[in-house]
Amino acid sequence: MRDWRLLLILVGLALTLVLAWTVHGRGVIRNDQARNIYIPDELTMPLQVKAAYDQERIFFRYRWPAERPHVYHDMLRYTDGQWVRHGASRVGPDPDGTYEDRVTMLVDDGSVPEFARYGGYITIGANMRFFSDSASPTEVEAHSHLGKTLGQTEVQKHLPATRQDINDWRSVVDAETLQAQREAGYFLDLWHWRAGRSNPIAMSDDQWVGEHRHGDAGQGPFTTNWDDDTDQPRWMFDPTITGKYALRWEDVQSEQVDFDSLYYLSENIAVPFDATHDWQEGDVIPRRLLRGGAGSRSDIHVQGDARWKDGYWDVTLVRARDTGSPLDDKMFRDQRRYDLAFAVHRNATGSRWHHVSLPYSLGLGRHADIQAMAFEGNEPDWSQEWFDLTLFYPGQVNWPLLIGQAHAGAGDIVSGTPVHARHSEEQLAHYGVEMEFNDAIIRQWWLTLASGLLLLLGVLVGLLPSFSSRYQGDRS
Amino acid sequence: MTGLHHMLVHFPVGFWALATLMILVGAVSQGRLAEIARTALLPVLILSLIGALAAIVTGFLVWPWQANLYSPLARNHILMSLWSLGLWTLITVLVWRAGEATFQHIRRWGLVFLALLGGALFAITGTLGGHLAGAPTAFSRLLGALGWNVYTTFYMPTWMLAVMVLVGLGCAWLGLSAYRRPRLPARIKNRVTIS
Repeated sequence: MRDWRLLLILVGLALTLVLAWTVHGRGVIRNDQARNIYIPDELTMPLQVKAAYDQERIFFRYRWPAERPHVYHDMLRYTDGQWVRHGASRVGPDPDGTYEDRVTMLVDDGSVPEFARYGGYITIGANMRFFSDSASPTEVEAHSHLGKTLGQTEVQKHLPATRQDINDWRSVVDAETLQAQREAGYFLDLWHWRAGRSNPIAMSDDQWVGEHRHGDAGQGPFTTNWDDDTDQPRWMFDPTITGKYALRWEDVQSEQVDFDSLYYLSENIAVPFDATHDWQEGDVIPRRLLRGGAGSRSDIHVQGDARWKDGYWDVTLVRARDTGSPLDDKMFRDQRRYDLAFAVHRNATGSRWHHVSLPYSLGLGRHADIQAMAFEGNEPDWSQEWFDLTLFYPGQVNWPLLIGQAHAGAGDIVSGTPVHARHSEEQLAHYGVEMEFNDAIIRQWWLTLASGLLLLLGVLVGLLPSFSSRYQGDRS
Repeated sequence: MTGLHHMLVHFPVGFWALATLMILVGAVSQGRLAEIARTALLPVLILSLIGALAAIVTGFLVWPWQANLYSPLARNHILMSLWSLGLWTLITVLVWRAGEATFQHIRRWGLVFLALLGGALFAITGTLGGHLAGAPTAFSRLLGALGWNVYTTFYMPTWMLAVMVLVGLGCAWLGLSAYRRPRLPARIKNRVTIS
């Protein structure tokens, strides 16, 4: 066979393309602690939801898969004579597993118009915490409102209209406007169940999102068990009640959790810390003290036992439909529709390493995505079907990006097209990941485009002799 | 510009689909139909290139350039459309150069291979365009089953870029070397040119 040149070129082209197809997408996406980047193994996960209500209360039931429960959160381990913290906020999963599982739900009654269409995306402003371009803690601390008034060092969830310029986290509107927005209902109610910091005392945290993520008025279900002056815990286990002074590190590390045992420290089983006790290597005291909440912040309770079993969390929360705190909560009225968005933290991750949902509607006697079932009696029988939805890892996509020139769908947002109409959860998850490496991917994409065209040019030059009109081919 | 792009893309897609069919017919069959396919191929290819250029130019004007660059789907659509244009330009040049001899000897099978490859490229390009227009098709699920999720940017690791460039250079060298081969002995030369 003497048409070897043509054959060689085409075989070379075919093999190159097969190899290219096989290895595409490699070489850029990798975890990078320095840039606050950790990509979860699973970009999407399921969540099941049910809702029910009676004359006074509304119930939400959530069920989601988790390989193991993470109920220990923020632990102090006695090591070489020091109490060492395990479980501070960090990039990706906590290596010791001491970061709690969580389910959160944003609620609106129509007062935040973009929320029904774009869900939690509207709460992600510029330079958020744990983004690669997160705002400097020093600068946030020096900010007249976020730092000086609220005592913050990070930019957290906030609504677009709380900023004069959505691209600038610093441009918080004045206090009078913030108050007027809140009174007009321009805030999101945030239900926040925590497996370590609220569930053991059958509580859920209750927060709201306005110009920042706030706790409702009153007392939350936990406080910090640490004394900066003495560098030691404030409280320890009461040995007369619990039979122990501390937990053991090997129990904290166990993948199995006995929900009937002590895995938390609460005020009814705590006594002031005794520095003179003969503390042993591996003793553990929770850095959070659980306590009965008070006021609006203690409105949400766990119904029954919220437990992890056979690979799933099953959590039911209950709250008064009208809490009497209209500046903190959204009231659930019959014959109304509401908008919800959910998120789950699992696998010992915190901050932005959660899986989130698109917005869904909730109906109380009205047709909606999630139909709350009316019931009578002590508690719902939960006979209705689960509402299945998909959560996704959102990556580093913020609202300024989505409404700016860099988003092809910015015009759709202006015209009010909901995110459901244009994107799937899987698509958004991949976009979220790619946005974390956007510059590197664009560069590699340009090079791929050019290399492919060069390859084709080379093939053309190589084939020209074989496609000469005078060339008559080989004779066999 | 969106509507104009949607209209214009039908020309390269239609012409390239037709050209693929004509190449297959011209390569594997004989008779009147095959003869028509071979004769009409070059005009169809030229029309397809004109249509493709118009579609690509209008496509670049649909969104701001930064939006094109920031969207994985748009990036993929641009890459596949330009690769499609590149490959069909290659086919057009080869068909034009070979003239009536295009379908003779082993060239026909080379052309079939290139046409099928070009068909796959414009099918992917069209599918991605459908996604961008809000009308995804099942074809993208096939691509996913074959290893490419179309929501992720199609890019190569750096070493693969080098392979692609080297293979391209190698192909070009093979072609150029054909013009610099030493003169063949007269007896062999006659065998090649007289038949």
